[in-house]
Order: sequence, then structure tokens, then C-alpha cells
Amino acid sequence: MQQLIICRCEEVTLAELEETAKQFNCTARELKLRTRAGMGFCGGRTCRPAVDKVISDLTNEHPTDNVPLKVAPPVRPISLQDLGGGGNND
Amino acid sequence: MHDVVIIGAGPAGLAAAVQCRKHDLSVVVLDEFPKAGGRLLGQLHEEPNGEWWNGVKEAGKLVQEARKFQTEILLGYPVHHVERLEDHFVVHTNKKTFPAKKVLIATGAAETAAPIPGWTLPGVMSIGAAQVMTNVHRVSVGERGIVIGVNVLSAAIARELQLAGTELHSMVLPARNVVSDDQSNPRVVMDRLSHIAHLAPSKFIQFGSKFAKFKFAQNIALKHYPKDGIKMWDMPIHLRKAVKQINGTDKVESVTMVDVTMDGDIIRNTEIEVPVDFVCIAGGLYPLSELASVAGCPFKFSEELGGHVPIHNETMETPVDGIYVAGNITGIESSKVARDQGTVAGLSIVKELLQTGDVRDKLEQAIAQVKATRDAASIQFHPEIKIGREKVERAFHEQHA
Repeated sequence: MQQLIICRCEEVTLAELEETAKQFNCTARELKLRTRAGMGFCGGRTCRPAVDKVISDLTNEHPTDNVPLKVAPPVRPISLQDLGGGGNND
Repeated sequence: MHDVVIIGAGPAGLAAAVQCRKHDLSVVVLDEFPKAGGRLLGQLHEEPNGEWWNGVKEAGKLVQEARKFQTEILLGYPVHHVERLEDHFVVHTNKKTFPAKKVLIATGAAETAAPIPGWTLPGVMSIGAAQVMTNVHRVSVGERGIVIGVNVLSAAIARELQLAGTELHSMVLPARNVVSDDQSNPRVVMDRLSHIAHLAPSKFIQFGSKFAKFKFAQNIALKHYPKDGIKMWDMPIHLRKAVKQINGTDKVESVTMVDVTMDGDIIRNTEIEVPVDFVCIAGGLYPLSELASVAGCPFKFSEELGGHVPIHNETMETPVDGIYVAGNITGIESSKVARDQGTVAGLSIVKELLQTGDVRDKLEQAIAQVKATRDAASIQFHPEIKIGREKVERAFHEQHA
């Protein structure tokens, strides 16, 4: 059986998430930071719902009205030059 | 500074822009995609009345209407941040920043990935990607494929692929894993199909209405589900078969398919390999709300609406003064509902900025129109959409209480 990749940008597998959750008995946020799941190039746009689902199952944290795992700008890939104000302002 | 920056040039954003321009507000519409129209661009289906809904044409009409009122539409401008300052906002893109008095976030929906072993191989794509390649870019996605995930969206797009001459082996479920959950449960999938059947395009009716309303009929149908699947437009739909993994060395070569019980458990020794050169995974849609989140909007979770949606009222205001939302970011519904919500948001912004009572009647009519369009929708993504809408509306008033 092949391994199941959850976060494709950072190539984090389900097994890795499960092992980390077990080893450190961690919260959703800590699990994300330890494995980098959802923190790759796409900013989690592809895997966010899958990561949320796996993490809430593993940590027994149920979905609330708050968006699980904080969203931080920039929410799209952007070069450091553009981010640093190399562009023009209107 | 612009009066309004609209993020998203889909039906909601464009309809809102038209209203703002009609009242001479300064408006810019930003979209990351190179063409205006949003998800509308991919749509092509037969309505229950036999007429064809051609998304490219519909998008064209909206763009034409917006251009008629000299609306500035900037394409290829991905927005990466909405910054909230004391008395205005700054919308950041990779090219420029746009200060704005009001911001409308109409970013639509994204597809939920349904990870299956092998899903990172080239040749595996989301069903929406296959739709955009086929209908927008006119690129063939492959010779012979399979659709994993049976829902109203995947059925509609499978039909579009078929119309474009792409061969599909079948539509099947994903095998159960920690993520696929309900989508791998034949009972849940059949129940959902039966709810939408009476609203959906003609062939879908014949498929779903057989099982509508009666739980026992669904049980019998699942128990005796034909080995060859139930055919829709000659394409087999399987609710008792699932894909366990996708195989290939450098790209997709085949999938491993298994039989499953009525509850979605894999039946041993039923594995077969089906050769395919592409795979479409259909995990459904969720509201794309990252920008509302960074702008500080509070959220409500509603399964009926497709996930976490920014709290808003029926005039499409959020509790963050100056931030408005419209379209699929407020819940997964048809593009017609999105368009009408955009009209509401546009009028709502006009009313606020011009401090005029003149638009009050129009705004009320527009709100009524959203409801009428929802009731008449031919494709409904969730049977209890109205319950979700009520939840969010209540949350808005609680915030203001």
C-alpha cells in the first residue's frame, strides 16, 4: 500500500501526522508547526480542509465557528520584492 | 482612493460593480484569473426546461454590462492581503496596492481535495481543473479517465467532459479513509443525490428520482445496486465501487478499484486494476474566505453552506464596517444566486456611501430576488441551504445585539 500524502507542497503524509500527534500529544496548531502541513507554497489552499479534518480527528478538537488554523497574509504566493513595496501604489 | 474595490470578477463581483457604476462610484474589480467570469466560465449544462446554460456566454453578458458602465476590471491581479486601517482599507496585489473606502470580497469557492494514495501523480486533477481545461482553455485532459467522487458538481462536469469528446470509464466513490469520510459512504451519497434529483438537469432526474423520498427504496437500491452501475448518458455511476489507490510511475497509468458494502467498507479480494490516463477527484466546494479572515471578519460554521462562512446579513454587510461579501464565499449555491447577491451588495454599498434613501426600494427588491432565484435554482448543492442561511443571519444579529 502506498503512503497517503496529505499536504503535497511539504509532502507530509498521514502516517507522519499520526506519529507526531501520538508522540507529542499536541494541539492542532502545534501539529501544523511540527509537521509543516498546510504551510507550503500554496498556503494551504489545496490541503487546508484535509489537514483540518485529519488534525481534528487526531487531536479530538471539534470544528468551531472559528476558522481552524489561523490564516495569515500573504494568502497567495508573492515574490519578496513585490511584498517589500517594489511595486507601485495607486 | 477608490470608493469600492471588488475582489473577484465572477457573477457576484461583476453584478455588484454594475450597481456601483450606475451610481457613479469609483470602482475597480480585481481577479487573479486572466479571464473575467469566475467559475461561470466552466459551466455548460441543460436546464430542466431543455434550454442550455452556457457559462462562457453568460460571463460575456455580465462583462459587457460592466463595460457599458465603464467599469475598470483588472485581470491577473491576485490579492494577497486586505489591510484594515483606521478609516479605510488597503487591498494588496502582486502589482499594486489599492486604497478603498469599501471592499467587497467575492472570491467564490475552492475545491476540497480528497487525498487518495497516488493523488500527487501527474494526470490527477480536481474535477474543476478538468472543467476549466476543457471549457475555458479547450485543452483535452486525456484519452480515458475516471471520476472519483459522486455529487451534483461531479455529475454535471462529467457530462461536460463527455460532450467535449473525452472518454470516462465511470464515476465511483473514493475508498474510505480519514479524510473522505461521508463521500465514501454509499448511504450518504445516495441520500444526497435523491435530495437534489428533482431540481437537477433532465438526465439527473431520471437517475436520482428513482430513489427519492423513501429510505427503504434507497436501501433496496443500494443492496441490489447493478454490477455495471446505473447509467447516466451511457456513463456508469457506481455507488458500490470505490477507488483505493491511483497507480503509475511518472504519471497516472491505472486505478485500483474495489467493491464496497452498503456502508462503504471494502470487500476483500475484489480488487481490479482499471487502466486510465487521467483521474478527476471531486471533493466538493468550500467557500474561499481567506481574505475575509485576514480582514478580521468573524465566521460561522455551516455544513449546509459548505464550511466556514464570514458572518453577514441579508444586505451582505459583515460586522466589520466597510467589508461586504457576496457569492459563493457566503455559501455554495448556483451562479445565478451569486449574481443576485452581487446586486444586493452593490446597492448596499451605494446606499451607505451616498447616504441616499433612493436605493432603499431597489435594495429590497434585490433581496427578494435572491430568494426567488434560490427557490427556482436548478442545481442545489445542499438540500438545507435555507437553514444555513438562517444560522448565519442570526449570528450577525447576535454580533450586533
